[in-house]
Amino acid sequence: MSENSLRSTRWGWAIRCLVIPACLILLSDQRQAVAGKDELTIGITQFPSTLNPNIDAMAAKSYVLGATLRPFTVYDADWKLVCLLCVKLPSIEDGDAVPVDLPDGKKGIDLTFTIRPDASWGDGVPVTTEDVLFTYQVGRDPASAVANGELYRRITDITVKDDKTFTLRVDKLTFDYAAINDFVLLPAHLERSAFNEPAQYRVRTRYDNDPTNPGLYNGPYRISEIAAGSHISLEPNPSWQGPKPHFRRVTIRAIENTAALEANLLSGTIDMVAGELGFPLEDAIAFEKRHRDAYQIVYKPSLVYEHVDCNLDSPVLADRRVREALILGLDRDAMTGQLFAGQQPVADSFVNPLDSGYSTDLPHYRHDPERAAALLEAAGWRKQANGPRIDANGNRLTLELMTTAGNRSRELVEQVLQSQWRRIGVEVRLRNEPARVLFGQTLRHRQFQLAMYAWISSPENVPRSILHSREIPGPGNSFAGQNLSGFNNPETDRLLDALEVELDPARRHSLWAELQRLYATELPSLPLYFRSSVFVLPKWLSGVRPTGNQYPSTLWITDWKPEQ
Amino acid sequence: MKLPLVLLCLLAAASFGAPLAAAVLGVDARSVDLLDRVADPSLQHPLGTDELGRDVLLRLLEGGRVSLAVGGAAALASAVLGTIIGLAAGYVGGWTDRVLMRLTDGVIALPLLALLIVLAALDLGKLGLPREFIQSEEVSVFRIIALATLVGWTTTARLVRGGTLIARSQDYVRAAQSLGASTVHVLRWHVLPNVVGPLLVATALSVGDIILLESVLSFLGLGIQPPMASWGNMLTNAQELIESAPLLAIYPGVMIFVTVICCNMFADALHKRLDPRQAAGA
Amino acid sequence: MIRFVSIRLVEIAVTLALMSFVIYGLIGLMPGDPIDLMRSSDPRASAADVARLKAAYGLNRPLGERYLAWAGAAFAGDLGYSRLFSEPVLSAIRPRLVNSLLLMGAGFTLALLLALLLGIAAARRPNSRLDRIVNLLCFAGVSMPSFWLALLVILLFSVELRWLPASGIATAGRGDLADRLKHLVLPVATLTLINLGPYTRFVRAAMRDALTRDHIRTARAKGASEARVVMHHALRPALIPLVTILALSCGNLVSGALVTETMYSYPGMGKLIFDAVMGNDYNLALATLLLATAVTMGANLAADVAYCCLDPRVSLR
Repeated sequence: MSENSLRSTRWGWAIRCLVIPACLILLSDQRQAVAGKDELTIGITQFPSTLNPNIDAMAAKSYVLGATLRPFTVYDADWKLVCLLCVKLPSIEDGDAVPVDLPDGKKGIDLTFTIRPDASWGDGVPVTTEDVLFTYQVGRDPASAVANGELYRRITDITVKDDKTFTLRVDKLTFDYAAINDFVLLPAHLERSAFNEPAQYRVRTRYDNDPTNPGLYNGPYRISEIAAGSHISLEPNPSWQGPKPHFRRVTIRAIENTAALEANLLSGTIDMVAGELGFPLEDAIAFEKRHRDAYQIVYKPSLVYEHVDCNLDSPVLADRRVREALILGLDRDAMTGQLFAGQQPVADSFVNPLDSGYSTDLPHYRHDPERAAALLEAAGWRKQANGPRIDANGNRLTLELMTTAGNRSRELVEQVLQSQWRRIGVEVRLRNEPARVLFGQTLRHRQFQLAMYAWISSPENVPRSILHSREIPGPGNSFAGQNLSGFNNPETDRLLDALEVELDPARRHSLWAELQRLYATELPSLPLYFRSSVFVLPKWLSGVRPTGNQYPSTLWITDWKPEQ
Repeated sequence: MKLPLVLLCLLAAASFGAPLAAAVLGVDARSVDLLDRVADPSLQHPLGTDELGRDVLLRLLEGGRVSLAVGGAAALASAVLGTIIGLAAGYVGGWTDRVLMRLTDGVIALPLLALLIVLAALDLGKLGLPREFIQSEEVSVFRIIALATLVGWTTTARLVRGGTLIARSQDYVRAAQSLGASTVHVLRWHVLPNVVGPLLVATALSVGDIILLESVLSFLGLGIQPPMASWGNMLTNAQELIESAPLLAIYPGVMIFVTVICCNMFADALHKRLDPRQAAGA
Repeated sequence: MIRFVSIRLVEIAVTLALMSFVIYGLIGLMPGDPIDLMRSSDPRASAADVARLKAAYGLNRPLGERYLAWAGAAFAGDLGYSRLFSEPVLSAIRPRLVNSLLLMGAGFTLALLLALLLGIAAARRPNSRLDRIVNLLCFAGVSMPSFWLALLVILLFSVELRWLPASGIATAGRGDLADRLKHLVLPVATLTLINLGPYTRFVRAAMRDALTRDHIRTARAKGASEARVVMHHALRPALIPLVTILALSCGNLVSGALVTETMYSYPGMGKLIFDAVMGNDYNLALATLLLATAVTMGANLAADVAYCCLDPRVSLR
């Protein structure tokens, strides 16, 4: 047998075997590219670990559950508290919220809610007060691993009036008394058996063992398919009585790498990228420059407050003048203008301009290197011919700035900070650590000087855990506080305590203003900006309203519709 | 053999001479200019500027210094460590050999990531390292060198062990032993020369591998930390801008590619030269 | 021989037990746990919540105690629950293991076939133009950072040409064979490109070695056809060292390819192990890492035995 004939028979056969099926695969299905607009594929950067609404707080999970479960109350895109599963918000004026005096002398409140009469689980079982009682039981149980137990601890009792109406007794009268956002109902008829042993609930819950069971969902969609780590498909919930959703199927695809996410969008594998878990802003800006004509790109400033915490125990940073010099040395306007195309508003304090508590009456720190230099001189840091400033003992003005390693936005910004601070004679060293190390160890034990990270809050959130002196992490609170700067200011403590229980809007507003002024004057941390989320949507899709708060846009998915 | 070596030397010379180039151009690799981002090439910035307005040429050279230093140092360190372990295993034999070889197997299967995160989190102060060093930016470079060494010595160890086993059974080694030569002497003068060829080849290869490893670690966010540049982190950062500023991704990509390919070709040529039978066949 | 294998099996068992301890210790040494991470971004999480959750997940007990509890249960066959995926460890692993076996197996087989083809062709005519091109290709393949290669492949075939999907394992609501194969093409191609270089060089070197041996010259002198010389006399001895490559690749079959999987959002073992380690999911991390270790070591042993069977000159002691 000659060499050529060998090649033509065996290899030829092999090649045919490989090539023909490949062509068939390629040609077999081009339907996807020209799919009718009754399907929507969304890209997000994370795959949810659990789907149980009460276990583990995770953005990817709330995104998926937004379309499939109705919470009682949430903040909407205007940051107003609204009812989703209930008929109306209780209020003192209407008489369905009644302040009460508790036996221990404190003030509490009784709240009466009514579940929407048409609310029903996907298997046709109506949502009733039975579910309310069951959820409460799960939430109260310390063994059940509910992520946010605060609300359940505050509710001391539930009185059931009928199948749909119940009254909660809350042991603290706060201004946002009607918000029971963390109270997300579990279907008692399905979940009760999983809760026989509370400690086993987190592994037995049907949300993870039988996630496509329609009875687990009471929203416009239900989960119809899960490919672990890859995608989750939603189909309309047959027992949903509200406005009909417009898509026959919604697929949520997890693509962690943002470069790959962009490629998927451009290739048509996904139709849109969710802002809640999508492109970093600077990538989206670059994307917009090239693809403005093919996509709608919506920017929404959010409650994610990026800032630099100053460790006030550090002798250098304990001096307020140094902190003020640091912020005056920054050109934050240029930073957001150049790096983020002006889409990321500069922050003056931790309160977002969209928040009802926002005040304009506080110091704004414009870029002012001269004043920064004067302040540093006054604080005893003398200028050198070259190199950083030194104090009377010849110590160099050197600070260490930390942030989360691998977060590209923050890495870019920290290098800008370093460069700008060098111009006012402050030498800054960068030391980044993976998030788990930074948050788990370094910040918790306050082993840092400057740390850049973000707080994610909710509308009208009282920043007790980040500013109150009792929340300074230490052995006393088993290092669980979040006042990482070590800010210890009696007036702030007083304002925080008063703010929580002040019901009068006008007086509350002045307390808010006072708190922000104090924060912006004392500068326990240096405000940078509020992060913007970016929604990249196809031109044919309308009705998507970014909220900018932690409640995902999918809660209003029935408004999403394809343009004719 | 010549071309790859010349190219490598040129790259190294350029990288380590970067401060000089900076002085000539009058720019600083770290000076951020927000008003001059992603600029086109100009006289002042021959390759343009990156997403923070820094000079790309200088950053490439600085990155080259870091990448080459990491590759070279880690390859050298793993060669030394691997040689010691391989010699011990092969020459002493018996239980020493067994334990060392299972250790090698274990390290090959070791979770690289867990090790890396532990290293990233390790309090270096407790190891008695000076404070100045811990706070310096170069610390991430040393972490990666340490890591690459900790996982990289296994190839060399196996290679050296194999060579040692062969040498040990040779008559001249037995003769030296029976003449009362010390173990160190026998290893140094009779065993090591037998394995030095493959050792050199493996080391040249591992320089390239480590440069690639550094880029992958950067991809995972665990590599060289800013503001220090490395080809790996430049490439990782630029992949997001691949559409709008493709050159930013192409430069470091090409640098890694050229360096690694040169290392491989150099190793290949070295191998051919050291293995006469291969050379005769070629 | 039996003695050799049984000793090695005992050694493997001991190594695995030691490894489990080392891995547990390594993960335990890493600062921060998932509850700390959760707390860091959520200002509403109170100190009470943190303490309660740590107790619920058993994170407040000392490391040694937790390890012993795990080892006891694992020995009894209970690998526990994955905290990260809220399902039993085995059911978290199973689908991803299948995905990985598919991806890695296909990539490996293709690369090996192509390597044989190219390697043999190159070895037959050393220093020919073909040999040089193959050589250059091999070097190119190994000299590219894998994430970079994957990105270029996606940009070309998904974005520019729009031939193939860029991510995932299947189209939602379909998942039939053709659809799944379609999703495999790009990741498999990427992996093949990555593996092709070393394999081809290996095959070429082995073939070159075999072709210059005396018995080949004898065969040629006896007038055997070129095809017979190559396929019969040279390839067979050259294949023996390939066993080593096979053995080494077995470990990769179960440990996956982290970078390729990340770039193609392909849920495989590489990503699973990474997430488990990063997320402090002890049960899952231990199970996956030990599985990979066991397979690697087992394959090594199998390779040694195979060597012995294939090559009578090798004896096992």
